[in-house]
Amino acid sequence: MSLLSLLIFIPLVAGLIILLLPSIWQQHYKYLALGAIVVQLLLSAYVYLNFDGSVYSGIDTQSKYQLVERLPWIRLDLGSFGALEIDYFLGIDGLSMPFLVLSSLVMLVALISSWEIKDNLKGFFALFLLLDTAVMGVFCALDFFLFYVFYELMLLPLYFLIGMWGGIRREYAAIKFFLYTLFGSVFMLLVIIGLYFSVTDPQTGNHTFNMLHMMNPDNYVQGSIFSALANQELFGIPARLLAFIVLFIAFAIKVPVVPLHTWLPDAHVEAPTPVSIILAGILLKIGGYGILRICFSIFPDAAIESAWWLGLIGVVSIIYGALNALAQKDLKRLIAYSSVSHMGFVMLGIASVTSEGISGAMMQMISHGFLSSMLFFLVGVIYTRVHDRQIPNFRGLALIMPKYTTFVMIAFFASLGLPGFSAFIAEAFSLIGAFNSESINGLLPRWMAVCGSLGMLLGAAYLLWTLQRMFFGKTRLWGGEDWRQKLTDLNGREIFALTSLSVMALLLGIIPSLAFDKMNASVLELIRLVNLR
Amino acid sequence: MNEYLPFLSGLLKDTLSGIPYILPEIVLVLTFLVVIVADLFLQGKRSSAAFWLSITGIIISVFFSFKQIEAGADVRLLFFENIQLDQVAVSFKFIFAFVVLLFALFIRYDRNLQSHAKGVGDLYMLLPAVLLGLNLMAMSTSLLMIYISIEMVSIGSYLMVGYVSAGNRQTEASMKYALFGSACSAIMLYGISLLYGFTGTINISDPDFIVHLGEIPEPATALAIILTMVGIGFKLSFVPLHFWSPDVYEGAPTPVTAFLSTAPKIAGFAILVRFLFPFYDQQSQTKEVFDFETTFAVVAIITMIVGNFAALWQNNIKRMLAYSSIGHTGFALMAVVSNSDYGVQSLVFYFSIYAIMNMAAFMLAGRIERQTAATEVDDYKGLGSVLKAEMVCFVVILISLTGLPPTAGFLAKLYVFSAAFEKYTSSGSIWMVALLITGALTTVVSLFYYLKIPLNAYLRKSANPYNIENAKDPLIFIIAILTFCVILFGIFPSLISW
Repeated sequence: MSLLSLLIFIPLVAGLIILLLPSIWQQHYKYLALGAIVVQLLLSAYVYLNFDGSVYSGIDTQSKYQLVERLPWIRLDLGSFGALEIDYFLGIDGLSMPFLVLSSLVMLVALISSWEIKDNLKGFFALFLLLDTAVMGVFCALDFFLFYVFYELMLLPLYFLIGMWGGIRREYAAIKFFLYTLFGSVFMLLVIIGLYFSVTDPQTGNHTFNMLHMMNPDNYVQGSIFSALANQELFGIPARLLAFIVLFIAFAIKVPVVPLHTWLPDAHVEAPTPVSIILAGILLKIGGYGILRICFSIFPDAAIESAWWLGLIGVVSIIYGALNALAQKDLKRLIAYSSVSHMGFVMLGIASVTSEGISGAMMQMISHGFLSSMLFFLVGVIYTRVHDRQIPNFRGLALIMPKYTTFVMIAFFASLGLPGFSAFIAEAFSLIGAFNSESINGLLPRWMAVCGSLGMLLGAAYLLWTLQRMFFGKTRLWGGEDWRQKLTDLNGREIFALTSLSVMALLLGIIPSLAFDKMNASVLELIRLVNLR
Repeated sequence: MNEYLPFLSGLLKDTLSGIPYILPEIVLVLTFLVVIVADLFLQGKRSSAAFWLSITGIIISVFFSFKQIEAGADVRLLFFENIQLDQVAVSFKFIFAFVVLLFALFIRYDRNLQSHAKGVGDLYMLLPAVLLGLNLMAMSTSLLMIYISIEMVSIGSYLMVGYVSAGNRQTEASMKYALFGSACSAIMLYGISLLYGFTGTINISDPDFIVHLGEIPEPATALAIILTMVGIGFKLSFVPLHFWSPDVYEGAPTPVTAFLSTAPKIAGFAILVRFLFPFYDQQSQTKEVFDFETTFAVVAIITMIVGNFAALWQNNIKRMLAYSSIGHTGFALMAVVSNSDYGVQSLVFYFSIYAIMNMAAFMLAGRIERQTAATEVDDYKGLGSVLKAEMVCFVVILISLTGLPPTAGFLAKLYVFSAAFEKYTSSGSIWMVALLITGALTTVVSLFYYLKIPLNAYLRKSANPYNIENAKDPLIFIIAILTFCVILFGIFPSLISW
């Protein structure tokens, strides 16, 4: 058992143990889950410390991945067809390693916030840990089949987590989320099958699901549907471009980008706090990760061709998300829309195909992972106390909850891009990338970067306005004295979770090289790969 | 009479030489006879003797099938080329035996059937007979044999559906089934007689069959083939021959429904593959006799759409599963359209998994109906916290029916998809793309109605508490084992690919 497998399967084992334990001990399930996730966090910290970013640049060469595990998994003999070759193939490079650390930390925070969950604990923690397994698996998998298995495995636990422990419209939100994601991923499956028939393993000559082989044009069968040389067309569109679009849509639903974002506000608003944290902190990143790892690496030609559109989608998401956030009265919905806006920077950065842009996008994903978890945690704090989160119903919270207000201010200022916090570095790099793109590779026009920076301004507007409306002024609460009693300040457990997140955001803001050093080589390698064709 | 004498020894020899290869079927015939006699004299309380005897007989027949696999996998034409024994046929025979065994267990633990005045001895008696028909369906290569084997299965099925015709609904179901079925076989017989008239042979593996068929004007061949397809289509219940299935599935006793939506359907596919084989085989030499690809592509697309969309509006669980099985028919037709060795292989895999999932789904529906009297989706409200094991299994089975990893249903779907894709890369036919896209879209649709069950069971609360009849019987263990298999084969499919 190597490190990555442990990282993936420890939560699963813990989840199974929870299922088998008698229900009398249900108050102790959370400690078992906590134990599993702390071990996971320690392991991922160990992985981080031992990861040499300059050596393990990964992308399309197996030898440049760290902690590679490759075992034959499914070998079905298909007679005249050779063999169905599916590997249990794991490995990490600079693109995936940061997400392992991010995921384990966010999982810990989510778990801490699930102390508020009171009913059906066995189901909750089992599903929670299953979700953890799936998430870790997605980031480690290098075989497309394996990737897909983990990718789909996330859906079911999330459906139940939102549907069973969610708010009033939870049924609607859960099914909407499930259908949206499945819609994207079934078509992804068709592309996977197409790729499978187009690519052969150079050693064995069998068709393969190995992603790294898919990145090398030499491995494509002559005249196969996705071979770059064959230039096949489907419905009058080049097959490779079509495949890129299909994959992009599948991941863009996850990111989410406008106009595929409509599941997100519903899912976030209805989901219980821990699930919101996981959704915003990790799952949205899977979209961005997928675009880099799969769309750009396997279909670089189509990626370059559509870069302008991706940039446009990014800019529209930034502006549209921010404008929507301005109009929200529900605090959680506001933060959900701010996620749409912030993830727009990721798209913009990726679309620029410059090292600044892609590093910025990576950084934005990590930074947003910490900050959005923090924001949703903060919303959860007042929601569990008074079961309300309408902005107009609160005023002057700073007077009764000073510690809470401090963390809100940290989170808000960090999110709006105050220098010194990670979001500043991330958004600045994304914008620099987008700005330079015109002179470096001519993919994105300058106005996109300019419009993107407008989004930062809008971000400042909705966050500061909220801060002013809810926290400053004389204390006036819709629920009167009753609420005032209930709105106690943060307890130790909450302070611990929030502090760890804000320390991470601050740390990455002051010493961004903590992340950049690890991923720079991979980013450069990716750009080399994309520009190769 | 005298002119046949010189051939007599040859005929005898050919017949005798075939006998060792149909040992499994001979065992089934013997079992059938023994069970009749045994049930007459040793009825007992629950017809236990009949149950054990049928099961033993079927297991012995499976054992002989195993021997056949070991003996070698080459193709054998037996009894004047009326039946053909090959790897695919044996694979199908395993699936049938598996389904029939599950069916027997299901009958044994279904209290509604057990408490019926007639007893269940006659049902057990039918099992080896129907299995014999199913096996012959998988092996027949002549039109006569196709007709006879289909009729064997049909007559057995009519009896099963009408077995407990207590209320109006059951009577309607069994009448509908028998009428629709006999009309379809009559039409099929007409088609077969046309084919025989055109070609002078009833043997579809005979090269003359295709050659002569090619000499007939196209509309005439098309008519004959379409009429023949009606009989097979009745078994498959593809659109537009699906009308009987929701009513019959709803009206028949649940174990019977489980059986009907599994084994005869799979056998129908086995026969379809056999029937189509000569057409594909010789297409390159002669002119195209009949455009099967377009016809079946259209039928498959319509079947997927009708089956899955109609299921959306169903509230009755068994009706919903009936429509879902129509949808699955459409999906499996995709593998038939791809008509390659790979396609057949994917079909066998698909149906091995389908048999497990479908039997388990109906077992669960039947069990839950008995425990809580819930027949509608709305009745499932809040069941998740009451029937824990049942509902967890149900969710896994439904996920597998949808075709999501890590269940075996996903691999089955992937397999069929890749067979279709392979066909597309070799032929470039736009129909295959249409099939693939429809298959993908209807998967999303199917999720919507499959999820209605967990939606009600887990996300909603029941208004009044359930009155659970706690049934401690082995059925739940069988269901649990099937569910476990669905996950196990989803992770290690090599376990069932022979």
